Amino acid sequence: MSAILQLFPELTNVNGDAENALVLARRAQWVGIDAEPVPVPAGGGLPTESPVAVVLGSGVDSALEQTRDALLGIREALDEWIAAGIPILAVGTGFELLTASIELEGRVLDGLAVLPGRATPLETRAAGEVVVASTWGELIGYENHARGYRSEGAATLGAVQTGVGNGDGTEGVVSGSVFGTHLHGPILARNPSFAIAILTAAFGDDGDLYAKTRADGVAEAIRVAALRRARTV
Amino acid sequence: MILGRAVRIAARLRKKGGGSAVPGLVVNRFAPGFLGSVLSSFPEGLVVVTGSSGKSTTTKMLVTILEAHGKRVFTNPSTANISQGLTSALLERASLTGRIDADMAVLEMDEGHGALLSPQFEARLVLLTNVMTDQIDRFHDSEKVVGMLDTIARRATERLVLNGDDAMLDAMAADTHDTALARFGVTAEVFDSLPRGLGYAQTTPGRDSEGTLVSRVDGRSASIRWDGFDHDVTLPARGVHYAVDAAAAIAASRELLGDAFESTTAVDAVSSVRAVFGRGEVVTVRGKRIEFVLVQNPASFQLNVDELEEGLDQVMVAMGSDVADPSYFWPVDASRIGRARIVSGSKADEMALQLLYQHVQVDEIDADLPAALDRFIALPEPETGVKTIVFTADPMRRTRSHLGLAQ
Repeated sequence: MSAILQLFPELTNVNGDAENALVLARRAQWVGIDAEPVPVPAGGGLPTESPVAVVLGSGVDSALEQTRDALLGIREALDEWIAAGIPILAVGTGFELLTASIELEGRVLDGLAVLPGRATPLETRAAGEVVVASTWGELIGYENHARGYRSEGAATLGAVQTGVGNGDGTEGVVSGSVFGTHLHGPILARNPSFAIAILTAAFGDDGDLYAKTRADGVAEAIRVAALRRARTV
Repeated sequence: MILGRAVRIAARLRKKGGGSAVPGLVVNRFAPGFLGSVLSSFPEGLVVVTGSSGKSTTTKMLVTILEAHGKRVFTNPSTANISQGLTSALLERASLTGRIDADMAVLEMDEGHGALLSPQFEARLVLLTNVMTDQIDRFHDSEKVVGMLDTIARRATERLVLNGDDAMLDAMAADTHDTALARFGVTAEVFDSLPRGLGYAQTTPGRDSEGTLVSRVDGRSASIRWDGFDHDVTLPARGVHYAVDAAAAIAASRELLGDAFESTTAVDAVSSVRAVFGRGEVVTVRGKRIEFVLVQNPASFQLNVDELEEGLDQVMVAMGSDVADPSYFWPVDASRIGRARIVSGSKADEMALQLLYQHVQVDEIDADLPAALDRFIALPEPETGVKTIVFTADPMRRTRSHLGLAQ
């Protein structure tokens, strides 16, 4: 069985981000690959087998330190996954914690620095719908965050067409096999092309992974409506 | 007063049975002190019930217990728990001098509007139900909700009654309040029997042994323990959350009634409470029996789905525009629904996407709610259980309106 890890879902599933692991597992199952989402509680042990993909979601600010400490507890494994090119999707505060630091009111919290750059406060909280022009087409979704992301020349997911994202017209980061984003919730269900990019990184460029599913027809209807809303604002 | 009444009559004429927030809006604009002065006018004081969920059922139970003890109680319909609706509900009953002929008021308040209104009232007792992840687009996160509940709790003069199993309420009360506390919750035995816990944003590590506690839950039958004795009650619908609502109402009524509190009267009163709209409510429409299941936030979605009869073959699911961002429903495991005949509402596609990934069979997706309702009701009688509609608040209102049911 191929494991798709959900890191600390009790802290990082406030917006359903950890469910992206379910999305990846289902899409693999639909083409006959034996994959399952495997939750890893904070402070709990990791499975002995290496995962094929890892999802780290977003939590409330009061859980930032606890989540960071849980990440420090699996630091060695995290470095191994990154070195091995295992895809990691990090969302919201999970994304922020993988950068060098998070600027909070009156203090700075050190991150794990496996991603370049750092999280800095936005002038006003960003909440609403987002459209990003990415290499995988237009990504749609929702954001709700108080901080943006600053880096020197890091590759991003793409340019923001609607919404705030990193705060400088770009959204997210791509560094090796690590994908960071502010788009929360089941972003991989809403954006099948992004899911396919992660699945082909996990399982190899298997043609079956590109097959369109019934869920993708529904995602397409959601996308069309979201783009229509974005273009009428 | 006269201004408000005139507007109310005008609003009624314009839209029969509707428009209940409009007169309140006008009065709040032209006579901003009105709400505060009426709220302070009850001889036995004001009780405020607030929190993320369970407000309506708890309020209804508390009012029923107090009335069974001979109190004349003013209360607001659950659909009028925001400031304009509240003002309108008060106007409905107030005399020309701005007074309401009742001994006390028990009001359900939305946490956001309650916090904004709080400078206008003092409450004899404030009851806090719980903090759940709810309406993230509006409240951002549960800490903000706690801040609002704290603001309301500070208006309590005699008692703060709170859920002792809710870690965020527990910490809030320990930090900031010197008002006397009364607690309710569940026993360790009941807690250990719940596979998914209680659904609060954070749960305390240990259980209370004192206070008013749910000591047994079995379908619609439950026991509530206080002063060392277990009392059997019948719940309005299945589910531990209704038992916790009953414990909350009993805890508050014990504080309010003091020596006048009668256990048997309270138990009979709680057991007589019927489901509030959409909470385990069963209606008969066009000769077909239909159960309504309202889901207000992820925790209530999970609790209600877990209470569905296994193997239902006629379920309709509707999500509406009240859910601005459906992301936060994804942690809910809805697989027990098994098969959804129709997924509807303005967010039908978002709901269907989650159900498909959770391996629920989805027969049909149709955002047109009236059309979907007509087809769903016309289906032959189900093989298992009754026709069941799981919906969020907006499609619930639209369903009631389409089917000609009371709002």
